[in-house]
Amino acid sequence: MASALEHVSWETCLVEPRPDRALESYARRRMGVPVPSLRYFASVPWLARAVVDLHPELGLLMHLEQTVADALTLIVSQENSCRFCYAVMRMMLRAQGMSDARIERVEQHLSRANDLAPRTAASIAFGRSQSRVGPGGARDARQALRAAGIGEDEMREIAFVVASTDFLNRVHTIPAIPSRSLERMPDQLPVRLLRPLINHILQKHRFRGRATPLERAPLYPYARLVGAYAGSPIAPALGQTIDEMWASPVLSRRCKLLMLAVIARGLGCEVCALEIGEALQREGLDTPALAQILTHLDAPELDDIERLLVRFARETIWYEPAVLQRRARTLSAQLSGPQLIEAAGVASLANGLCRLGAMVLEHP
Amino acid sequence: MTWTAALVVALVFIAVLAGALWRQRRDQERLKAQLEAAAADLEQLQNACSRLAPAGVVQRLIADGIALDDAPGAERKVVTAMFVDLVGFTQMTERLEPALLVRVVNGYYQRVSDAIEEHRGQVGSFVGDGVVAYFGAIQPNPWQCDDAVHAALAMRAAIRAYNAELESEGLPPLAIGIGIDRGPGLAGLMGSRARREYAFIGRAVNLAARIQGLTRIHEVDILVTEALRAELDAGFVLAPMPAEPVKGFAEPVVTYAVRGRSESRQHRGE
Repeated sequence: MASALEHVSWETCLVEPRPDRALESYARRRMGVPVPSLRYFASVPWLARAVVDLHPELGLLMHLEQTVADALTLIVSQENSCRFCYAVMRMMLRAQGMSDARIERVEQHLSRANDLAPRTAASIAFGRSQSRVGPGGARDARQALRAAGIGEDEMREIAFVVASTDFLNRVHTIPAIPSRSLERMPDQLPVRLLRPLINHILQKHRFRGRATPLERAPLYPYARLVGAYAGSPIAPALGQTIDEMWASPVLSRRCKLLMLAVIARGLGCEVCALEIGEALQREGLDTPALAQILTHLDAPELDDIERLLVRFARETIWYEPAVLQRRARTLSAQLSGPQLIEAAGVASLANGLCRLGAMVLEHP
Repeated sequence: MTWTAALVVALVFIAVLAGALWRQRRDQERLKAQLEAAAADLEQLQNACSRLAPAGVVQRLIADGIALDDAPGAERKVVTAMFVDLVGFTQMTERLEPALLVRVVNGYYQRVSDAIEEHRGQVGSFVGDGVVAYFGAIQPNPWQCDDAVHAALAMRAAIRAYNAELESEGLPPLAIGIGIDRGPGLAGLMGSRARREYAFIGRAVNLAARIQGLTRIHEVDILVTEALRAELDAGFVLAPMPAEPVKGFAEPVVTYAVRGRSESRQHRGE
């Protein structure tokens, strides 16, 4: 049966897959099943691990009901038109024994706020607003969640589910990770026969989070954001991903910071912009140069890769798969495979973090 | 006898049940076909709407389930407005056959629209041979001024390439005039109950249209206002033009002709 996103145009994949046994077995250990996209991210290990570690159902949620989190993931992936993530979500639902018709009914049900419990409806409305409006709508979204009786802890988890889905959507969309085989998989006979077993394995690997202390105060930009999740398993997961991103040698630290700064400016996330601006100053970039870069996406201080990537970062802010993939294809002629993948990862993470920042941190 | 009667009753019951099930299944299939046809119609309608209003606006209206009568009011925004016009269009209408004229003009519209969309702008409307475009109207865009001038330069290049095609067919070349200004105003769906369009109302649109007219006087193709120049990247090469009076504005308006990007910036692959 045709998926709702079958008509979304999807480029041929921009990167070559590179099998990596260690990463693949890590993913299988954590999720129970192979993660088909992992080999495309293998040249940038922090990103490959983040694609696994930031899945909310793997022990990151303590307060939000898993069914609401699943609904949010489905809705945000649909909003963002990420064929890959949407195909994964549909496959999970098929593994749980749902027919295509039933999945369609669930989607229709989720689209009709009147049929849903007020808390679920408010959560879904929040997911949609963050995809469409971004941080600009955070204040109203927070109020709507509070009005529906959702507490602060649960709200932070909702924001995390939306941000992590947004990250996963972008990181699969930008390099056009192939989705066709995943879309067909649920209809294949071996998969249909093994469905109960697959479902059993998937369910066995999903678990609720437990209070986890944040062992050390983070020093990097986004420290306040990670600190806002102190006590939750989300904090160490986020902290480790951000730490590993800074440590990765593929793109320079300054280049990554510049990409983050452009996205923070484009999304109007003042808290993120402030922290990143300070970090860039520590990297030796003075205030006038930073102002020039952020205002015009260019400055004599930029090297060739930075110049390409600050412009690319800006293109990732508003989610249009065809535009994202077209821009990434242009970029692929000028960057190495690992550079392209890391650029996609940094831009995707920055978009998720800025949306998260606007939601969980009060702006000055 | 009793067994036979019971069997007949059972068979009749089964037949009635099978008939009911068959009817229900047929109805379901009919409803499903109707639903699919309605979905296809809606998709066609969405595609058609996308040609009448910026795609982002249509998607927001559909996704939010807003009836046009309840469409949200206009929002206050700072937007960069661009007005593009064909120079010498009236003479062209006299020289070309209508069918040929439509083909030539559609080619011009397409190239201008592509340049606008490539640089994150939205075509607001086609006014005769003119095109009104906005940058930063639908989504916030802190780089809207640079985007608008990049789009104007892309149009210049696209029309130059189009002219080479036209000349190879023995057709007259096209020339365009572009005016760009930036300022606050109201953006949103506006119009009567029967017909609405996405529009931006503000001094910037009027001034962009007026200074587009000045391109003939200054014999240049792209003019920007002082307000826009103040926000532009220093990498654009601008030439100041003498102040000229324009209709509806008390003071003569200072404009700048856009020559291009400085060579050092072009060497960086722009």
